[in-house]
Amino acid sequence: MKMPALIAALSLLMLQPALALEAGEPAAGQTRYGANCINCHGKTGKGLAEFPALVGLDGVHVAQRLTRYRSKEELGPNSAVMWSIAGELSDADIANIAAYVSATFK
Amino acid sequence: MKRLLAQRALTAIMASAMAAALPSMAAADDRVPKLTSTTVLEERDNPWDMAFLPDGTMFFTEKCRGLSVRLASGTVNALLGMTGSKGYPSTADDLFCKGQAGMQGVAIDPDFSRNRFIYVYSTSLKTAPGSNRLMRFTVGDDLKSVANRTDIVEDVPYKPLASDHPFGGPGAHNGGRVRFGPDGFLYLTTGDTHNGVVPQSPTLLGGKVLRMDRDGKAAPGNNPPAGFDKRIYTYGHRNVQGIAFRPADGVPVAAEHGPWHSDEVTVLTNGGNGGWDPRPNMAGRGECPGNYCGYSPNQREGMAPAERVKFMPMTDLVTYPNAMPPAWNNNGLSQGMSSAIYLTGDQWGAWNGRLAVAFMGIGFGGTAVGMRVDVLDIAADGKSVKSVTTMSMPMAVGRFRSLVQGPDGSLYAAVDQGEVYKLTPN
Repeated sequence: MKMPALIAALSLLMLQPALALEAGEPAAGQTRYGANCINCHGKTGKGLAEFPALVGLDGVHVAQRLTRYRSKEELGPNSAVMWSIAGELSDADIANIAAYVSATFK
Repeated sequence: MKRLLAQRALTAIMASAMAAALPSMAAADDRVPKLTSTTVLEERDNPWDMAFLPDGTMFFTEKCRGLSVRLASGTVNALLGMTGSKGYPSTADDLFCKGQAGMQGVAIDPDFSRNRFIYVYSTSLKTAPGSNRLMRFTVGDDLKSVANRTDIVEDVPYKPLASDHPFGGPGAHNGGRVRFGPDGFLYLTTGDTHNGVVPQSPTLLGGKVLRMDRDGKAAPGNNPPAGFDKRIYTYGHRNVQGIAFRPADGVPVAAEHGPWHSDEVTVLTNGGNGGWDPRPNMAGRGECPGNYCGYSPNQREGMAPAERVKFMPMTDLVTYPNAMPPAWNNNGLSQGMSSAIYLTGDQWGAWNGRLAVAFMGIGFGGTAVGMRVDVLDIAADGKSVKSVTTMSMPMAVGRFRSLVQGPDGSLYAAVDQGEVYKLTPN
């Protein structure tokens, strides 16, 4: 792959979560968060037990992490659980959750 | 004559009143209680355990903050902070939290009115690379401080490093429940720290139920196998976070987390083996990640619990034929079984004398999350259950971490989300 094409491809990859975030609906994300995330991360996003806090996370970061978990990438000690959960999420779900988390847990 | 007639009339009235009352009394014995809920604490940080004085004063721990007390008036006094905690009159900077580890169980001495002793189990950095310690303090008369820390157990293992396992971060599997039994001894439950050799080890105190006096010395009647640490009451456990005592005879009953399958409730026998042995190259197994087969096989993916149990049983009755069989294994599922308490008193109706078991809930590989409290009617021989009923909760369910029956007869339930609820039967 030539350099300009590589840069274009990388730029596109970097843009994808941001584009997804832009399309995310916090209200729909709240519903999905309540069904998939709240049991471990809590209703205020502060985290429970050994599950981490989501407070202050940027939406792009949340979307990227969920996408990488969905691809079964190893990202820490709770990866196996997150693979199971993220594996059920569509692009739209991820965008919506990221929008809700970034807008709510500040 | 008039007096005789009056007596007969009175007798008849009493008889008919008793006859009328008897059916309702019989019905009351079979009554499944309806619960009402009162929130006694909220927005706390992972409340982990509670212990009561007779007047309703409630001591409680928060996993990453420390020890506090809620007075019967509702006022909360902070007592002992962990490293980094703010707002406590004193802190113990060696106490820390990491992953599942932190400040966990709390118990009040049965002779508290005389000695004012309280016991707290927490992870500590006092000795490298960290350990879980059972500490004893004296509580100030004004319930605003604790002092005179004495570490009565210093050497329960702690997992300092991450490993290649689910939930494999530092701090995994510490057990953590502390309770006095009706025999007057102090029971401490521990966990296997994701270390294959720990549960069956005669000297490492993880994966055990310990029974001690108030100074941390072995209870004289403990009967572990030869060569074992005499503090060990039972061994071969995975991660025991619940212990309760059968009302009829005081026999301890443990509740523990299963490995993607088979949470277990087990009636304990002195010196018994729980049958958990996650070592590699054992029982037909080969190598396992990090020398710990606790989630094998196929530890990263969903798999039918019934298949997992064949490879890595929670109670290995083939290798250990005399192991203590569970009374109940949560229908072969693992959903985060934590605390347990026997409900006692007529107010509990049909549940009087039955075991309440808490679940934090964890869904993996198709298993339902299962946040709930179940009520078990355990058979007299301790080897099966006659019935299992899920409590119908009057409030939103949460990750149920601790169950304690208060001096008022109500059930107090702590959830990781930050609340402690009082559940009162009606």
